[in-house]
Amino acid sequence: MGASLQEVKRRISSTKKTEQITGAMQMVSTAKLSQIQRHTTSYHVYADKIRSVITHLAQTHLLDGKVVSDSASTPKKNKDQVSGLDMLTKRDVKHTGIVVITSDRGLVGSYNSNVIKQTMELIKNAGHTTDDTVIIALGGTGADFFKKRGYNVAFEYRGINDIPKFRDTQQLVKKIVGMYDDETYDELFVCYNHFVNTLTSEFRAEQMLPISAINIGDDDLTQKSDEEYAPVYEMEPSQDAILEVVLPQYAESLIYGAILDAKTSEHASSSTAMKSATDNAKDIISSLELQFNRARQSAITTEITEITGAQAALD
Amino acid sequence: MAEQSVLTVNIVTPDGSVYEEQTTMAIFKTTVGEIGVLPNHIPLLASLQIDEVRVKIDGTDDKFEEIAVSGGFVEFSNNIATVVANSAERKENIDSDRAERARKRAEEKLARAKQEHDVDTLRRAEVSLRRAVNRLNISKH
Repeated sequence: MGASLQEVKRRISSTKKTEQITGAMQMVSTAKLSQIQRHTTSYHVYADKIRSVITHLAQTHLLDGKVVSDSASTPKKNKDQVSGLDMLTKRDVKHTGIVVITSDRGLVGSYNSNVIKQTMELIKNAGHTTDDTVIIALGGTGADFFKKRGYNVAFEYRGINDIPKFRDTQQLVKKIVGMYDDETYDELFVCYNHFVNTLTSEFRAEQMLPISAINIGDDDLTQKSDEEYAPVYEMEPSQDAILEVVLPQYAESLIYGAILDAKTSEHASSSTAMKSATDNAKDIISSLELQFNRARQSAITTEITEITGAQAALD
Repeated sequence: MAEQSVLTVNIVTPDGSVYEEQTTMAIFKTTVGEIGVLPNHIPLLASLQIDEVRVKIDGTDDKFEEIAVSGGFVEFSNNIATVVANSAERKENIDSDRAERARKRAEEKLARAKQEHDVDTLRRAEVSLRRAVNRLNISKH
């Protein structure tokens, strides 16, 4: 019995150490989560502004006034397109770009497998093959997965900061938008986990390029009619020139927003995963302690029996 | 809408709001020239140069606060001017050493790109040079 006692003791101490580590990791993730949430609030100010300007432009000038020439054939669909500018025109889709945002490391519960599984489903449902899909992988897990399956990973990036600042991701985001100009892809989807709350996240696949009224946001367009005052802007230098500036900025901010959102939910799932790991460790420890006490007790009982037995024999 | 004697200047970047003050005049450098905006200006939308935004300090006659912005655009309506840019810094937040280093780097890149006739890099280097020079100018005011 002695060896087993020793064994159980060792297991208890090792599980305790693991528990300490996972507990610390949980605290780190929680801290990061609250940091990034604060940062996200300030980003939303910017995103809302840029979106409202775009909606204004679309509302007051473009949607009713200028309808692009090629919309004549299918007027209803192409009304979404507000200008002949590059990012607004739908091209024939030869390649579909998919940005997959995953984490670099594990220990985040079902976070990565969720994104990857649903992305694969999306690809399958849309009928894309490995030839006409261009994967842009942000995060190592996604990059490895799609490379192994023979997809064309046009760009991969590892090591996005835990709290990504726009300045850090600007190069990256510019590069992704630039690939649209180079015709590496003709439409762009961004697949990521949207942060709902600490326990849940929800997979999202959003089409970001070409920009259409759909991804500017339907709710904004419908809400506009309630607003009593929608100003007609004086444009300086011209509407097209402004769109030229605003649209890339908008696309960049959308992708940055997705990265932020994904990172937020990564921290959340990491924190949840670490919490359940800590809880599990606690369970194991308590059952091991029970086992340890039982073993100790039975060792004592045996000893007493031996002693009393010996005593009886002497008498 | 009542006539107001002040307007609010708000500068937002993806990393949050950088500046928010009330003023009686703001001057923006747009891609086609300078625009001064007074309260009750008609709604305006303009793309900005990589340059400074000058905001008259409230209560003074001719003192201005300068904020470095890296392009973007300005939207003005209802007496609120919102500058939406990828980055913006107030004078006191500019790290002039860093800007100086960035300027040197950009100049080197520019020279190299000129030698190699690399149009793409040339253009990019010009933009980063302009950004660095803009920061330096403002920090030296």
